[in-house]
Amino acid sequence: MTETITALLESWGVNKAAEQVSFLFDPVNIPFAIWETLYAPLCATLFAYLIGLPLGILLVTGEEGGIRPLPKSLMGLINTIINLLRSVPFLILMVLVFPLSRLILGTSIGTTATIIPLTVAAAPYVARLVEGSLREIDRGVVEAAQSMGCSTLQIVTKVMLPECKPSLISGATNATITILGYGAMAGSIGGGGLGSIALMRGHGRGQTVVMYVAVILLVILVQIIQSIGTRLCVKTDKRITHK
Amino acid sequence: MEPIIEIKSLSKTFGEGQNQVEALRDVSLGINPGEIFGIIGLSGAGKSTLVRCINLLEKPTQGAVLFHGRDLMGLKEKHLRLERRKISMIFQSFNLLEQRNCLDNICFPMELAGIPRKQAREKAMELLHTVGLPDKAKAYPVQLSGGQKQRIAIARALASDPEVLLCDEATSALDPKTTDSILKLLKTINRERGITIIIITHQMSVIEQICNRVAILDAGAVAEIGAVEDVFRNPQSRAGRRLVSPAMPLPVDESIPMARIAFNGNASSDPIIASLTLDLGVKVSIMGADTRNVDGKAFGTMLISLPEAEEKKTEILRYLNAFDGVTAEEV
Ligand SMILES: Nc1ncnc2c1ncn2[C@@H]1O[C@H](COP(=O)(O)OP(=O)(O)OP(=O)(O)O)[C@@H](O)[C@H]1O
Ligand SMILES: [Mg+2]
Repeated sequence: MTETITALLESWGVNKAAEQVSFLFDPVNIPFAIWETLYAPLCATLFAYLIGLPLGILLVTGEEGGIRPLPKSLMGLINTIINLLRSVPFLILMVLVFPLSRLILGTSIGTTATIIPLTVAAAPYVARLVEGSLREIDRGVVEAAQSMGCSTLQIVTKVMLPECKPSLISGATNATITILGYGAMAGSIGGGGLGSIALMRGHGRGQTVVMYVAVILLVILVQIIQSIGTRLCVKTDKRITHK
Repeated sequence: MEPIIEIKSLSKTFGEGQNQVEALRDVSLGINPGEIFGIIGLSGAGKSTLVRCINLLEKPTQGAVLFHGRDLMGLKEKHLRLERRKISMIFQSFNLLEQRNCLDNICFPMELAGIPRKQAREKAMELLHTVGLPDKAKAYPVQLSGGQKQRIAIARALASDPEVLLCDEATSALDPKTTDSILKLLKTINRERGITIIIITHQMSVIEQICNRVAILDAGAVAEIGAVEDVFRNPQSRAGRRLVSPAMPLPVDESIPMARIAFNGNASSDPIIASLTLDLGVKVSIMGADTRNVDGKAFGTMLISLPEAEEKKTEILRYLNAFDGVTAEEV
């Protein structure tokens, strides 16, 4: 089988066909790359939510006229930090964060090491996504909860988060896909995964076929994540009656 | 009788400087236990602000709100939350939790109060029966009509065994027939459970249908307050007259003498104007009328023209005032 494909590629004039085919059909290379592609971004998404979810909640509840207003100066500070982090291009942020990765993980290269910059880049983005979702809630519903004697914490856990669940899920899908994209970029400077393969082998060593295969696999991964997210979102949303 | 809720010289100002809005100005009211109290006023009069000040969803700028004689403003946040459970609220936009089914919506206040789940569900089922929707336990709010949503909201409001029910335009989003059935339900709840009800509305018909007493709010101040019948029969304030007979044009032509006839609900079904013309042999024309039939009784006002001669006027007014439940005066 591999020989047939090699012959076919060579007949099309593709360079280094044998090398590329043997790389692609190796039982480890591609599956491992897929794992690397997913592992760092998924971990980063998780950590980003650990930081971004509370921050997003704070952005909504703490604002002037929110359910638990915080000092204006504090809100201003949080907003500024988020905006700052969001405006630094990811690749630059990644380089800036190298020392932090080294401090926490002892290394700044390798797939695991990219989790740190990915988290730092994604947390403020997640905070804004969560903020956006929570803002969709009807003020009246929050007010009704307050009139029933809900505490601030109860409003967040029993009203805001459950009522915004579909929107939060769709936000999380977006976040995962975006972080996956960042992860592919991170691959180019020290990370692993499909992004790194496409760049290093495809672009760097002229292995065009490998590059296309890597890109197609990335597209498929994104499609899968998106459809899982959409399905979950629709399934949890009780406002949609016809399912 | 000691009022269950007492509002004492309450003022509320929104904003500062140029944008300052005085939503409430020195409002004082006492709500008696067990009554259905109406608060009516035109849009922007401050009704919602007033009702939101009662459970302190809105913090008054000045004044006090007493519940059973206790100043709610003096309570710690935690104690205020406990008191709020005794003062339930329903809204024009229902405000149900859309991701919870009806049963779980009704369970919500009991969940907050820490009532065991099983017990809460049983009570929620009972309440579903009370509001006439036992088959909607598993339905989600999106699957309900407006009237049904308000019934669920009422059941939810009752779940905490409140002493007071605040209704902010609870029927304003509903058609007349549904409004009617919701008002009947509120009346039943008031009678059977002895819950004090405060109803905010801009519809006079809502007040006349179920309220015992009414306060008229005009530009943030109480214009008048009294038994519904009295206010209907003889509104004292300009705002009152405007609300009681909104369709009635104020006499533009000052030269035509006119009389205002008020029906307070005790009038028999006699054709009064017809009798007047027959018995006294005078011709009057009806300049405007806004009367309605409530439980077979006439309520409302009518404006008729009067002859120029003074003695004729007096005769007509005396004749009209002799009817039960009718008051007539020259305007
Ligand atoms: N949060 C707020 N900030 C500023 N102004 C407000 C606020 N809430 C109400 N107001 C103002 O207070 C006044 C009274 O408003 P309110 O909502 O109490 O009127 P309402 O009688 O309930 O009217 P409607 O019948 O239209 O509901 C209005 O002039 C309104 O603009
Ligand atoms: Mg209002």
